[in-house]
Amino acid sequence: MTLDVNTSNTEAFKKAFHTMEEAFPYAKKMYQSDALQAAAKVMEDVDGMKFLYQYADRFDAAGLFEGGPWAEPSKLEPRLVSGSLMASGMTSIVEILSELRMVSIAKGNHEHETVTKEKAKDFLDSVMALNIDILFPEETEAARIEGKGKEKNRAEKLFHFLAEELSLTSIATTLIKEIDGLVAQRPIMVKRTVSMIKDAEQLLNNPINAQDKKAIKKYVQALSGSAKLCKEVKEPCDYRKRLKDATDKELKEEAKAFAKSMHETGLVSDHHVVLVRYFNREKKDLLPIALGLSKKGIAHLDEHFDTVSGLIKVAIHPPMRQSLYGLALLLERGVLSSNPVIPGLRRLIELDLQPDIRKLLLNSINPNEGITANDILVAGVISVLGQPLGIGQGMNPTCQTARGISLWSLHAPGHLLELIPRAARDGDVDVMFEGQMIHSKNLREGLVDDLHEELDPVSLVLVPHMDRIYGELVRRAGFRGDDVHKWVNPAFYGNWVNNGFSSALDPITGSVTDFSGFVRLFYSTHHPELNEGHELIYPNPVGIFITNSFGHLLGLHAVSIQRVAKDPDGEYRIYMYNPNNDSSQIWGQGIEPSVSGHGEIAGESSLPFHQFVARLYAFHYNPYEQGDAYAVDKEEVEKVEKLARESWGEKYTWVDL
Amino acid sequence: MPLNDRVKDLSFKANDRQDRQVLQRRKTGPKRLNHKKRDEQKKIALIGWSIPSIEALDYIQRPYIVVSLPEFESYATEHQIPFTKWNFDRNLSYDDIYDQSKELHDILTEQDVDHAIPIFEETVEWAGALNSHFRKDPELYDHSILFRDKAMMKRRAHMGGLKVGVFEEGESKEDVRRFFKRINHSLLRHRDEDPEPIHVKALNKAGAAGHRIIRSEKDIDHKLSDGNFPCLMESHLEGVEISCEAFIQGGKVRFLNITEYVVFGYSMMVPPSPEIEALRPEVRDEVQKVVDVFDIDHGIIHPEFFISNDGTLYFGEVAYRIPGGHIFDLMKKTYGFNPYEAHILCSDPNTTEEELEGVFPDEKNHNGHAGSFLVYPKSEYISGINIPPELEDHPSFEKHTLFRPGVSKVQDQEGYGNHLGTVFFYHEDSEHVKQPLTDYVDHNFFM
Repeated sequence: MTLDVNTSNTEAFKKAFHTMEEAFPYAKKMYQSDALQAAAKVMEDVDGMKFLYQYADRFDAAGLFEGGPWAEPSKLEPRLVSGSLMASGMTSIVEILSELRMVSIAKGNHEHETVTKEKAKDFLDSVMALNIDILFPEETEAARIEGKGKEKNRAEKLFHFLAEELSLTSIATTLIKEIDGLVAQRPIMVKRTVSMIKDAEQLLNNPINAQDKKAIKKYVQALSGSAKLCKEVKEPCDYRKRLKDATDKELKEEAKAFAKSMHETGLVSDHHVVLVRYFNREKKDLLPIALGLSKKGIAHLDEHFDTVSGLIKVAIHPPMRQSLYGLALLLERGVLSSNPVIPGLRRLIELDLQPDIRKLLLNSINPNEGITANDILVAGVISVLGQPLGIGQGMNPTCQTARGISLWSLHAPGHLLELIPRAARDGDVDVMFEGQMIHSKNLREGLVDDLHEELDPVSLVLVPHMDRIYGELVRRAGFRGDDVHKWVNPAFYGNWVNNGFSSALDPITGSVTDFSGFVRLFYSTHHPELNEGHELIYPNPVGIFITNSFGHLLGLHAVSIQRVAKDPDGEYRIYMYNPNNDSSQIWGQGIEPSVSGHGEIAGESSLPFHQFVARLYAFHYNPYEQGDAYAVDKEEVEKVEKLARESWGEKYTWVDL
Repeated sequence: MPLNDRVKDLSFKANDRQDRQVLQRRKTGPKRLNHKKRDEQKKIALIGWSIPSIEALDYIQRPYIVVSLPEFESYATEHQIPFTKWNFDRNLSYDDIYDQSKELHDILTEQDVDHAIPIFEETVEWAGALNSHFRKDPELYDHSILFRDKAMMKRRAHMGGLKVGVFEEGESKEDVRRFFKRINHSLLRHRDEDPEPIHVKALNKAGAAGHRIIRSEKDIDHKLSDGNFPCLMESHLEGVEISCEAFIQGGKVRFLNITEYVVFGYSMMVPPSPEIEALRPEVRDEVQKVVDVFDIDHGIIHPEFFISNDGTLYFGEVAYRIPGGHIFDLMKKTYGFNPYEAHILCSDPNTTEEELEGVFPDEKNHNGHAGSFLVYPKSEYISGINIPPELEDHPSFEKHTLFRPGVSKVQDQEGYGNHLGTVFFYHEDSEHVKQPLTDYVDHNFFM
């Protein structure tokens, strides 16, 4: 096999690599820059990657990665690869060489102490799945004009090499698993899901296995429309005309197909929206089929038909197509029967919006759609009321507010519908704290300096206010000798939060104090077999330690415990709402919250009871609903403590009482 | 006039004659050192952590022990590098260092060491102290201080006949003000709006650390603080600045490298531009003079000179150690020998003529010009690196060592501080190397 490479480049690499191989072990690092620079030159050649790969089984022993983050391949994370590849300087060169090493391990050319063949393969599959866009670069005008940087070029070469060496089959499987995980949580914001489906679509023309092909097609059709007529007529405007000529039988088939796809994936296509709007005008009796409603949903639709019809007219448009799914779920939940909801929604349709709110809402869709900011807001409220567990914090550190919106949507929709007009119309939200009124308009800073606007409309309106209020509550509750959340949470979320509060951390010293007591209290107040059968009625806002895949502490995070129940296998699990709806959370020590397959309701993630407690740092409880703390099994407490000490606990001082 | 005074007055002539007689009978001037050899069978201690020097010791197979800070111990253990940890306290007086070095000397003697070679500026006096214990010769220690205390160094150079600027030691801003005024008065520039600048330097720091240029009385208040004192104050020298790396054995310069400071503190080139290279014979004479004046028997010196417009060489300062700025790496590239090995050979008083044979190339015969550009962070926080797209396509571009930084907070910078990476250039034509070395001074390589 002759490789298309420049000999002077390859000779320079051979020489530099040889020097490094021959060097004393302690001096290898000194020769890295020469070898890396020479490798960078070789990468510019057509077969550069192939040439370098011939040496990949020797990279580790030669010391190419020594002293840097790439030295220990078992600690590398696939999601960090794309960042390194696009970083300029030597970083991207080492990253590429590290991938070549992984290929060599995956193919069994090179045995590594800590990374098995299978692990290397999994790693590369994830890297490929996460970077499909590099493999199939977008042929956009922007990409054409901007040209490609050196890094982009090299990355494309690497991925072509990887695609040749590895099968695309396993990449497709990995990608579909990622999409399944996201879809299982039914988030309101689907931008990421959609972009991953678009990535997966690129794989359809490659030899991948039939099952994956089917799964990809299912998702692609969920976006493009799966029904018969819509496949014939792609253009939504023509589709609308075609519907007028369709027979009732055709329309029913069409409606059934759309509803099925929507409920299976949580994704809505433009054509589905066109169909529903048409039914709303001309074929009202077919609406239940198009929404895929159960008997309960149909009953609620019948009861509030005029309201629903009005909502469809105002809020269900192609740019906000996902709200159609929200509407279907809202009817299933029967939220419209809660007295304040209908007038609350009506008020929003004609609400006088603050100019900045109007701008913010209109920015969230493409211009020239002929849709008002109020339409967008109403569509957003429908989604939130229909999918209370689908609210996400986006890229913002505002888990508290997301948790609040979710809780109010579930248990106090009337309250939520009060807050939204306060913020959107009055530019102010007020909260009473220990007899004093706090107005958000008087507050300057919250936790977020610069709101990341990839959020649902309700969060866009509420987060800036609620975040400032939360910050102010934290400030006012400070220096009281206990964790601020003890006072902040009931004031912020409302009376649904219990006043009993316990934290694993001593607020004065910051050390872990009486951890076993903390664990016992949680078991005796939350474990169904130890708390004398008291059910959790409202979500419990708790604080957890977030750890990475090695169990190392990353920071604190807010989630809500939604319920505690036995899973289908009879194991007690804690079902939580995590505003950071990421599908694959790997917390180390084998603790991996699952989003489906263990009895989760869409939007929940869950962990076995003791695993959750091993990451818990603070919770609320009802002091009148407490079982016997001493009844908690000693081994169980020790098991939790061991997991805690060996993960986040390493960063804290532990004090035993 | 009282009687006593008159008697004294009359006696001074006689006294003066007597003093002259005494002086004629004894030797004045610098005390010459007694350069003793080390014990062949024993080990060499490398004072300071430097991988290329450790590698050099392994290549030339001299038994050794590395003495450095405790933080290097784990790396040394991992790679079986003979190692002794020692906390070199930067805040000790020279007397304290001499006292404390006895303890280190005892530890090293137990490990069969009897010679010390310094690597960095701050270890020069430690190596001097150790060698003076090993040879039982306290003057060896004083000799090492000559290369550390800039005032002592300049005085010695001045008395030996090297051309130096006017200098004084200063304790306070008032001293600086007085020195500044006197210099300007002497040059008849004290009435000028733009007076003659002076330089304030730390007495014993490497490179540009503690260096401040004073261009006005205002600068004295703005640029100086208590931390700058005691200091050395110096008149300004005009001209091109070069450094030399002279390898000495038996009191003779065996190899002379000349480095051109293209942009002071940022970039350097080896060998220098042809105009400077043409002055090699004069530079060589001047460097040999430094060797004689400072009574150097062996080792490496790294003196800096200013070449004035008429070709006169002014002595700036001299260090007794390996130079910074990757100068050795540039020499390796253009002269094709390993300067780290040569450093060890020259620093060992026992090295024989046979061993030195073939080590050094012909200093007049180089292969192209090599340049290094040191990249410093320009802001306190950095998140990524920013390499100009045309840089890697430049005809003289060789390689760079810039990585995306793992830590975004930049360490405190003193002098020119620590560079975070280096860009290397290499080309036949010195102009092709000099141009990028100048061009990128204002470019921010970090984002």
